[in-house]
Amino acid sequence: MGDLMSVIEAVNVSKSFGEVEAVKGVNLQVHAGEFFGLFGPNGAGKTTLLRMLAGQLEPDSGEIRTAEVSHRDPIGIRRAIGIVPEVETPPTFLTAREFLELACRIRGVDDVRGRVDGWLGFFEMEGERNVLCRDLSKGQRQKVMLASAFIHEPGLLLLDEPFINLDPIYQRRVREYLGGLVDKGRTVFMCTHILEIAERLCTRVAVINRGRIADQGTIDQMRSAEGEGLEDIFMRLVEVG
Amino acid sequence: MLREEWRLHKSLIGPFGSGFFPVFIFALSSVLAVAASMVLGNISQSTILMMLHVAAALYGCFVGAMGHAGEQVMTRRLGQINVLLHISQILPVSFRRTMAVFYLKDALFYLLYSFVPLTAGIAVAAPLAGVTLWSVALLGVTMSLTFMMGMGLSFLLSAAVARSRLAAGALGLATLGLVLMVWPFGVLEPGRLLLPLGFWGRRDPLLLFASSLIALVLPVAALPVIRERIRSSRERHVSSLLSTESRFSFAGDMSTLLAKEWLELLRSGALTQAVAGFVGLILGVYAVVWLFEAGIGIPLPFNVVSYSGFVGLVGVMTYSWITNVEHNESLNSMPVSVDMVVEAKVSLYLLLTAGVSAFYVILIGLARGELGLVPLGLLVAGATSVYAVAVTAYLTGLWTNTMFFDARVLVKFSVAVVPPLTAIEVASLLMGSGAFPAVGLAVAVALIQLALSIPLIRGMRGMWESKPFSFAITSSKVN
Repeated sequence: MGDLMSVIEAVNVSKSFGEVEAVKGVNLQVHAGEFFGLFGPNGAGKTTLLRMLAGQLEPDSGEIRTAEVSHRDPIGIRRAIGIVPEVETPPTFLTAREFLELACRIRGVDDVRGRVDGWLGFFEMEGERNVLCRDLSKGQRQKVMLASAFIHEPGLLLLDEPFINLDPIYQRRVREYLGGLVDKGRTVFMCTHILEIAERLCTRVAVINRGRIADQGTIDQMRSAEGEGLEDIFMRLVEVG
Repeated sequence: MLREEWRLHKSLIGPFGSGFFPVFIFALSSVLAVAASMVLGNISQSTILMMLHVAAALYGCFVGAMGHAGEQVMTRRLGQINVLLHISQILPVSFRRTMAVFYLKDALFYLLYSFVPLTAGIAVAAPLAGVTLWSVALLGVTMSLTFMMGMGLSFLLSAAVARSRLAAGALGLATLGLVLMVWPFGVLEPGRLLLPLGFWGRRDPLLLFASSLIALVLPVAALPVIRERIRSSRERHVSSLLSTESRFSFAGDMSTLLAKEWLELLRSGALTQAVAGFVGLILGVYAVVWLFEAGIGIPLPFNVVSYSGFVGLVGVMTYSWITNVEHNESLNSMPVSVDMVVEAKVSLYLLLTAGVSAFYVILIGLARGELGLVPLGLLVAGATSVYAVAVTAYLTGLWTNTMFFDARVLVKFSVAVVPPLTAIEVASLLMGSGAFPAVGLAVAVALIQLALSIPLIRGMRGMWESKPFSFAITSSKVN
């Protein structure tokens, strides 16, 4: 892997909230064209790590480079990547269409109308395009958040539970879209608890527990016994951790 | 309940800031109680009592309305953080019952947070102020009752607004009619409207009993009026972000955020509240002066410039409304920083208030026959507006309402804003005796304010650019 270009590089990264050490000395490398999965139990530090990688949270110590941008330039990071946060929070008083238009205008995307129509069509939300985001269902709000992260076609996507609240039809549609992106050489970094999906999609994974990376590599590399699945690996690492 | 409210305050502004607020009130009331005997020597005791009770009633009205407006605002800004607000959706408890508990919690909290330290502060200063401890205790009781009556009234009004605007309007007009009968028409004594104040005149315990009854009946009457919160409709709007953005094209790169802010202000209903609040407050300044001059018979040498100085200070409330519209968490995922949104909000504030302020100054100039002072008034109004909002944006960013509960922030704001305002007011009052130096002082202070606004806005960028939009809510979240 040494000759591959790193799109995410975290060196000895730590973050505390008061007395709680959320992330402790994490080292992580994600390469271009990978579908990388980060797993861990609740409160393990996944979202904190993802938020630091996404330029949403400053690390207390260590160095981060995301999409070749240092963590000291958080706006630069956010400009270069697409982010789906843990909780869907589109603006209360903008319509679904307006929120996507806002994402395009802020990111300087050309052909705003075409892109917005395209993504509303992808998620079959033409009927809801003029509904205030406040009044959308949770699933629809998640679709809007996904569309806002995909709309500028970034080279790197950071996704926190992207399949949450999506029905199986859209889970499959998003899965196929993300798979297609990776086939084209783009990178996806995903936190999820849905291990079956992760096992199918991820080319490399890491398990985080109590703020530390317990193990990382391909699923094959992380197996300790023949036939051990991702769930077994996860349980073993978390219980030991 | 109280523990939750305390935790909420602590989580937003820290334990020191939260704890310092009642201490600040305590210290301020002690100092004012001592100073009052010297400064207010010429004003009768009954006038001072009336002013205190009017202030308590207005404070109560503000807190009671927050039970309605605040519930909307807090849900928008804090989401699920306040369990009481959402308990009716997850537990078999009606929204009415939840609001009753919420009301009780707010009443107790504000009594303990404001009126107890206020009374204690005056009590400490009682020997120096020349009043007995018994009178101070009575004052605490009557002011608390007045506060509760104001709170109950605005709670009832805000509940009625959600049910029937017509009924709420009628109730509001009836209240206004009663107020007008006292001020300025003088048909009714102030103590007949504010019964706890009436107690000071007649010492009739029945008045305290009646006040308690009214303070209880008003919120109880509001409860059946409150609507259970079941949203069944989906609000639709034809997409207008891009067209709005082109209307704000003069703002350059800021036009997209300005369009977003404008649409949110419009659709949330906060535009009416912000503009009406601003107009109400600047008219209130005029009304208070008029009340003193005409109603109480204390002449104040105010002129156009004096009124203009208050415009900026009053405008801070409008900026606070604008910052309360939306949580903006979605922007955490975009290449936008908090300071960019603050700048958009400051611009929107100036756009909203500039015309109204100018109209107000010109109108007062016409009414008082002081058209010659209007240009200076416009300069002062503009400079104080820009300066006060720059200080506010620097100190509070997008969390004005929250941060002003932090006594440290409030003290810094006072130190930055009160001296130039005082200088302008003093200059305006001196204009009758020696026009040129006074005009020079007012112009100089206005220009200094404008000049200081530039580093304040620059400093605001450094202060807030690295903060997340969820800074006041989830900055301590671990996952």
